[in-house]
Amino acid sequence: MIYADNAATTRISDSVFEKMLPFLREQYGNASSHYSLGAKAKRAIEQARKQVAAAIGAEPPEITFTSGGSEANSWVLRCVADTYRNEPMHIITTAIEHHSVLNACRSLEQTGIEVTYLPVDQTGRVSVNNVRAAIKPHTKLVSIMFANNEIGTIQPIAEIGRLLKGISILFHTDAVQAVGHITVNVSDLQVDFLTASAHKFNGAKGTGILYKRSGLDLSPLVFGGEQERGLRAGTENVAGIVAAGYAIEESVGEIANAAKRLKAMVKDTVNGIKEIIPSVRVNGDSKCRLPGTVNLCFDGISGESLMHLLDLKGVCLSTGSACTSDKDKPSHVLLALGLTEQQAKSAIRISYGKYNSVDEVGKIVTAVCDTYEKIVENR
Amino acid sequence: MGKTSLHSALDQTLKKWGNCVEKKSCYICGKKNLSKNEIGLTKKLLDKDSKRFYCIDCLAEYLEVDTEFLLAKVEEFKEQGCKLF
Repeated sequence: MIYADNAATTRISDSVFEKMLPFLREQYGNASSHYSLGAKAKRAIEQARKQVAAAIGAEPPEITFTSGGSEANSWVLRCVADTYRNEPMHIITTAIEHHSVLNACRSLEQTGIEVTYLPVDQTGRVSVNNVRAAIKPHTKLVSIMFANNEIGTIQPIAEIGRLLKGISILFHTDAVQAVGHITVNVSDLQVDFLTASAHKFNGAKGTGILYKRSGLDLSPLVFGGEQERGLRAGTENVAGIVAAGYAIEESVGEIANAAKRLKAMVKDTVNGIKEIIPSVRVNGDSKCRLPGTVNLCFDGISGESLMHLLDLKGVCLSTGSACTSDKDKPSHVLLALGLTEQQAKSAIRISYGKYNSVDEVGKIVTAVCDTYEKIVENR
Repeated sequence: MGKTSLHSALDQTLKKWGNCVEKKSCYICGKKNLSKNEIGLTKKLLDKDSKRFYCIDCLAEYLEVDTEFLLAKVEEFKEQGCKLF
């Protein structure tokens, strides 16, 4: 099997797996327990908090662990809205956000909150000028993703952060696809909230990260015990949190070399496919893009058929976001780039990661091109 | 409504009905009246607008996989709620 869907999820790093295992077997204490088994679990969580904070240029108390990126995104949006519930409120976001942000915004709209969904250009980039122009006197939050999950386009987050600095507007970035893959530093970005998910950078599923700038208030999402400084009640997923700490440390340590390697693999993939199928098109920005992600349009055929046939050959890739790929709807991201419904439905996403090797590129190129030919000859 | 227009309306209804109950033959072996699953597999794997249809054995040979593998895929697609099956 060749797994080329690392934007959906990643295989846990072998060394990270070894580090988390004791917390499922021998060190299985509840971090809130006052005997030494519990204290060891608590220490492991705090160690992971330090590792995560160091990886994104934050302070450990600014990090809260959640169950995943979607929970962290919903938390920011819902709780910021709750904070301003007695005032007129306006949120700025983009049309290409992950559904955990878009659906949270739609839900807030039902409560009377105004939301602006900014358009993006053909490459998927949002314009800083459009952000500036969208600001209203009652704008309280700007939520713009760092890198898009379907096309990999990286947004000008630092520029938007500079724009918003000094204005009393909170800034959140959904960095689920970015953390562990490109350099992320919360001070440079000047964000107030940043969210991430461990299984996207070779950690375990079930652990998300919320960075909240020191001094900001955020009401709890889950009520109960005093876990996570009373912000998120519930027994901590110690093994998952430990894995998140080691995985982020490992990924950030390898970032430069990995980016170089993945970028070359994507380039060879695109060139190899284009040699045989010249009409293939790359969606997204050619420069400001995640190193391992590429979204391709094969006009005239169905991306879904391509994906299923490749699955028969043992190649795992997707038609878009894993969170929407079971719906027969064209991608909202690709439609926002100006693609027609038919073009959007012809797209596939290849996303390479830590465990992909260079020799898999040729196999993927051959498999994609052979599969494409099979579909075309039956039309 | 006159007799001619009534016939024309009836013809159109029958045509639509005929399109709903698809009758397809295998492009390779000529097997007639392919099952819903066979038609569904061709549409799912090759194209919704595929001009050629295949019986499960010929499709397996064409795609270089085992018939059992394709049957398992049918079950997988059904579990996912695919309406083609």
